[in-house]
Amino acid sequence: MESFIRDIPGRDNRKAHLFSGALIALLLAGVFWFGFSRLGYRFAWGTIYDYRINFLRGYGTTLLLSLFALVLSLILGILFGLGQKSRLLPFRYLSLFYVELIRGTPLLVQILIFFYVIANAAGLNNRFVVGVLIMALFSGAYIAEIIRGGVESIGASQRESARSLGFTPAQTYRYVIFPQVLTRILPSLAGQLASLIKDSSLLSVIAIKEFTMAAREMNANTFSTLEAYIPLAAGYLLLTLPISRLTRLLERKFSYET
Amino acid sequence: MKLELKGLTKSYGPLTVLDRVSLSLEEVHSLVFIGPSGGGKTTLLRLIAGLETPDAGEIVINGHPVEYGSEETLREYRKRIGMVFQAYNLFPHLTALDNITLPLVRVHGYPAERAREEALVLLERFQLADQALKKPAQLSGGQKQRIAICRAVAIRPEFLLLDEPTSALDPEYTSEVLDLIGELRDEGMRLILVTHEMGFARQAADYLLFIGDGGLIARGIPEDIFSGSRDDRVSRFLDRVLKYN
Repeated sequence: MESFIRDIPGRDNRKAHLFSGALIALLLAGVFWFGFSRLGYRFAWGTIYDYRINFLRGYGTTLLLSLFALVLSLILGILFGLGQKSRLLPFRYLSLFYVELIRGTPLLVQILIFFYVIANAAGLNNRFVVGVLIMALFSGAYIAEIIRGGVESIGASQRESARSLGFTPAQTYRYVIFPQVLTRILPSLAGQLASLIKDSSLLSVIAIKEFTMAAREMNANTFSTLEAYIPLAAGYLLLTLPISRLTRLLERKFSYET
Repeated sequence: MKLELKGLTKSYGPLTVLDRVSLSLEEVHSLVFIGPSGGGKTTLLRLIAGLETPDAGEIVINGHPVEYGSEETLREYRKRIGMVFQAYNLFPHLTALDNITLPLVRVHGYPAERAREEALVLLERFQLADQALKKPAQLSGGQKQRIAICRAVAIRPEFLLLDEPTSALDPEYTSEVLDLIGELRDEGMRLILVTHEMGFARQAADYLLFIGDGGLIARGIPEDIFSGSRDDRVSRFLDRVLKYN
């Protein structure tokens, strides 16, 4: 029995891993099965078929929106991540306020304020664009912190050695600090992308036709709540699981270097 | 190399590390700083390297005062000197070869191909050619420090500054680094070295400065410092460090 549940060093434990994985999957399935049987819910999977186009479109929107937002949030993250150390004090305080405000308030509130106040006042009507901007602003604050942490993790001794070699501060960032920061924060950035995809589900409150909105619409029209939301969960997992695998892979790859 | 210090003062907060140090040396080839930890040797070296700015006084090298006025003039000055740190300070994301070529290409404007050739010649000469494509993490401490020295001399500096280059090394690697420094010295590379390796200091120095308590406690050629020094702070220090040698 011992050899079935323990990861024993220096031995081929593949069977034990398989056993434990299957055990936990079965356990989870059991819990769900028990829950659903108590509920006495009668699944009508036919309804989702009628809404498949809606779902697929929403899925595409979520993906596209997340990708645009990621690119934009990277730019914001670099700008405000470095800004927190800027000698230009107004810029430093802007960066600090931005990061603290966004990280300290619920995304839902940010979405509502941005949509009803800022976008409205600016005359922004394209909901997709508004969605991208909101998610970029939101995710940008987290990426700023990732980048700030990454830059700070590069030891003072390396800046010093670059200085002693006659590098300008810009060259030091370009050739010494950034290449190292990039490899160090790649895993966290991949994780941030996964969060971004999930968090964008909240955009359904301002009726952006993304993945979650498709489920909400179907639920509202047909009352097939679980038939709408279970595929929704599966759809998000389909995106986030590979990213989380990728994150682990990157972590392992870069832990050997440096 | 002519070195003049005029009333050089440096404090960190309430702590005065160098207190009005003055000195004038004509034509030294290898100058070695010894003395107790925290006594100011490294601070003096870092001032000479242009990495710190003095609170008062000036440093004149070969008739030219070091211009501490702006970061730009200091940068120009640093480009002409080589600096080796205690903890190697190689860039961990670059191979040994790229560590040497990066400053050549980016700071000194060498074409990439020529930088590579120069670096390979140096690595070859110091039996490091096999390590050229390895990253610092794959190298021993001694190899890292030798490559750091190659990086510092590749730019053909006016002189080389070494801050306790063997202090972070396992004892087995000390001699390979000291051998390399000795070799450079014998070829005419002018150097200023901070070290705790008394045997090496004695052998390699033209001139020794014993630094402690905020200033120069003793100075002279190695024989004078090591044999019956006048100041008992020096003899006490030497007794302690040479106890197990």
